[in-house]
Amino acid sequence: MTTITTGLNMGGPIAPPGTPGTVDYSIAPEQVSLWQDAWRRFRRNKLSIAGMVVFLVVVVVAVISIFWTPYSIYAQGLGDVTDPLSLKHPFGLDSSGRDVLSYIMKGAQIVIEIGLLTAVITSVVGVTAGLLAGFFRGWVDTLISGITYIGYGIPALLIAFLILFVTNKPSILNVIIALSVTNWMDMARLTRGQTLALREREFVEAARATGTKDFTIMARHVLPNALGPIIVQATFLIPQAILFEAFLSFLGFGLPSPDPSWGAMVADGLNDRFLAYHTMIVPSLALLITLMAVNFIGDGLRDALDPRLKR
Amino acid sequence: MPAILEVKGLKTQFIVRGGIVRAVDGIDFRVNRGETVGIVGESGSGKSMTALSILRLVPEPGKIVEGSITFDGRDVLAMNDDQMRKFRGNDVSMIFQDPMSSLNPVLKVGYQIEEAMRAHDRFTREEAKARVPLLLRRVRIPDPERRANEYPHQFSGGMRQRAMIAMGLSNEPDVLIADEPTTALDVTVQAQILEQLRDLNRELGTAIVLITHNMAVVANICTWVVVMYAGRVVEQGPTEEIFRSPQHPYTWSLLRSIPRIDEKLGGKLLTITGMPPDLTNLPPGCKFHPRCRFTVDRCFTEEPELVSVGPQHQSRCWVQMDNVADPDSDRREAPVVFEAENAAV
Amino acid sequence: MTRGTAIYAARRLVLVLGTAFLVSSVTFLVIHALPGTPFTCERNPAGCAHENLVYGLDDPLFIQYRTFMWNLVHGNLGYSYVNQGVQVTPLLLEEAKNSLILGVFALVVTIVVGLIIGVTAAVRQNSWADYALSTFVVVGYSVPSFVLATFLLILVGILLPTWGGSIGWGSAEQIPIPAIALGLPFAAIVARLVRASMLDVIRQDYVRTAWAKGLSSRVVIIRHALRNALIPVVTIGGPLVTGIITGSVVIETIFGIPGLGKEFVTSILIRDYGIVVGLYTFYAVLVGLANLAVDLIYPVLDPRISYA
Repeated sequence: MTTITTGLNMGGPIAPPGTPGTVDYSIAPEQVSLWQDAWRRFRRNKLSIAGMVVFLVVVVVAVISIFWTPYSIYAQGLGDVTDPLSLKHPFGLDSSGRDVLSYIMKGAQIVIEIGLLTAVITSVVGVTAGLLAGFFRGWVDTLISGITYIGYGIPALLIAFLILFVTNKPSILNVIIALSVTNWMDMARLTRGQTLALREREFVEAARATGTKDFTIMARHVLPNALGPIIVQATFLIPQAILFEAFLSFLGFGLPSPDPSWGAMVADGLNDRFLAYHTMIVPSLALLITLMAVNFIGDGLRDALDPRLKR
Repeated sequence: MPAILEVKGLKTQFIVRGGIVRAVDGIDFRVNRGETVGIVGESGSGKSMTALSILRLVPEPGKIVEGSITFDGRDVLAMNDDQMRKFRGNDVSMIFQDPMSSLNPVLKVGYQIEEAMRAHDRFTREEAKARVPLLLRRVRIPDPERRANEYPHQFSGGMRQRAMIAMGLSNEPDVLIADEPTTALDVTVQAQILEQLRDLNRELGTAIVLITHNMAVVANICTWVVVMYAGRVVEQGPTEEIFRSPQHPYTWSLLRSIPRIDEKLGGKLLTITGMPPDLTNLPPGCKFHPRCRFTVDRCFTEEPELVSVGPQHQSRCWVQMDNVADPDSDRREAPVVFEAENAAV
Repeated sequence: MTRGTAIYAARRLVLVLGTAFLVSSVTFLVIHALPGTPFTCERNPAGCAHENLVYGLDDPLFIQYRTFMWNLVHGNLGYSYVNQGVQVTPLLLEEAKNSLILGVFALVVTIVVGLIIGVTAAVRQNSWADYALSTFVVVGYSVPSFVLATFLLILVGILLPTWGGSIGWGSAEQIPIPAIALGLPFAAIVARLVRASMLDVIRQDYVRTAWAKGLSSRVVIIRHALRNALIPVVTIGGPLVTGIITGSVVIETIFGIPGLGKEFVTSILIRDYGIVVGLYTFYAVLVGLANLAVDLIYPVLDPRISYA
């Protein structure tokens, strides 16, 4: 009597090549690239689209304000802060009689400048550092990782303050520099992680085998594949920078008066709160809406680029 | 003998963007007290979903849409949340395929077993705690007192599965459902686990429903076999009968493709051609016909019913297997006939 | 605590001290290498010279540095440059107490609110509760904490005039509002993380096993799901503490709480070099210890991890 058991795992049926007689009733799914797929998914996310719209509005306002605002931000005494909102001054006046709307518009300019510039500079520096560290390893990696590790243990705000303290000259450029110096480390760490993982992949090996130069490999092979999380992180850098700047100007470390930064406006509004509320509420809402908008965009991007989520 | 568990016309479906996935599409089977039933099928055949449906653990977005499940005369589908809670792990237990991911990694093994008992108010805390090493010893885990205090990642694969079995049996359920309990384990360990299950079935009289894709495993310990394909039962009957005379081409192919140790070396390894069906887009007629080598015209248009082909044997096919010649062979003979070991019953 | 963990903790402590030394050195050198002394000499040349002498600012840089380091090792963080005779160390320690109280309460708010919202949203995924909570969460972390603080101030001022009307720090009732203003934005971030982690964990096999054993919903969600879900959430523990420290700078300023944050802003504004250097050192130690504490929680939560 023979027993039918060898304990062999059968697995699923495998068709030997060239097997006739297989009738296939399924339709092959449409092929799209990662970016097209991501864009599609992003489009479907209503919140992200709303965020983009709002952000574009802010950008437009910022650009307009470079050339024109309803009133000059240096014009004082246009009325009293307790005056009700009117068509001439849709957002009212502050305690020095300045038009709040004009200030808000200029504030938008600062927000966009600082937000975008910081994000770009931080990303460029951070990605480069991370690529170099992850790709070449060795002393380059030790150096860069050491710096990021130390920077990790120190609150970014403190470093920014130190730089501002030292330079003692508030200006947009200084703020951007301070923010970038503190934030590039996160980006570097992220990129380094991605690079470390990607350099073990076969296509990198293949590129090396055909004699491609290291920098070309990094630029053409590793970087494009690491871009997903990098883009998401870069997007979230924008509200971080805006928030930072708002903090700084709220505390009085921003630009010299009259400082149109929304953070400074909130601080002034706080002082005036027994006279009127609008001087505080308007810039607060402006900050809130802008930050929410960019956060929505970032969330949408992250969901869209997440390779784990199927279509 | 009365059936302890009876499933009739069960249909479980998932509504996804591409359509409706009919994971379980009308199956009937019963489990008698103390019996060992094997449910065999490939991935996507609906065997795991059947088991999950019995315990009403079908994951979202799945739903049981039709049918009845009766345990000891009680209607399982009509139970409320509290009754279900008392039912699970107590009247019917289930153990899963991968014991590493099925055990909570941050809790001690002994605690997880104790917890299973405490959930059903049958033992006090002291009693439950004392029972844990006994249960572990029964599944032949050495040094059970020490092991009970360890975490799952400190166990080997086979030991983890034994611990799962101990946990499943801790409340002395009437039925134990084992979903591919050996698939994730080494070959030698597989045999041990199966032997363990068989011994427990004999000692405790717990009915076992063994779900697997491996016919060899079924032959080892099951007395009754249910073969599933595309969410339907395509054949069922006593193990010996099925192995001796498979009546459905799918069953036949499954058995045919097990390599035999007494065959000549260099012979072809036979496989079942084609791919498992797309459950949102099932073919017309018999669901197996795209991969079947014994088709006649009727197979393409009409789905066969389950008919009786022996005293307790049913099959869902238009073709009488005994009359068909083997297209692969030069010799014109009837489909291969297996001889089963008597002691497997 | 296992031996391995103790060794790890010791190593980290050394790292913390090293970082503190580094930070204080850098701060000191950067500040003192600046052109122009801390004291304006145009107005009061004679007094200026006297102060320079008192603070040793006439000495070459490396001697100043040596003195500083010597003092540092003895726990003496120097003297205030603005208020003469005030020692930095006891001042900071006193203020640290206040900041600690604020910080701990804020942390409690963060954790409790964050957990409740995160778990509820995950368990009722895609219900209206989930959407409402998720929206609240996005607003939560988009709001700058000073905006939240000012709104809370006004709100409480209108609704409960006797309670929140007084800004300051003297009675217990003045703790909740700044603590909420400080902790709520982080609660939103925690909630989001907890929700994502719970959604992941709920699909795991061991949760299915827990259901199959007939455990009650509460036990499955809390004992099985949440315990595992918390593990990835602990990773933000470090940045969370850092964020609360950063946020306290603003919150203390708004609410007039005499803590490290307010001291920070004040001393930078009035350019009190002595305190600034001492503060940075203090902060470096504080953040380092907090990060270490978070890292030591890991093996407690996850027995698979050990610092062997």
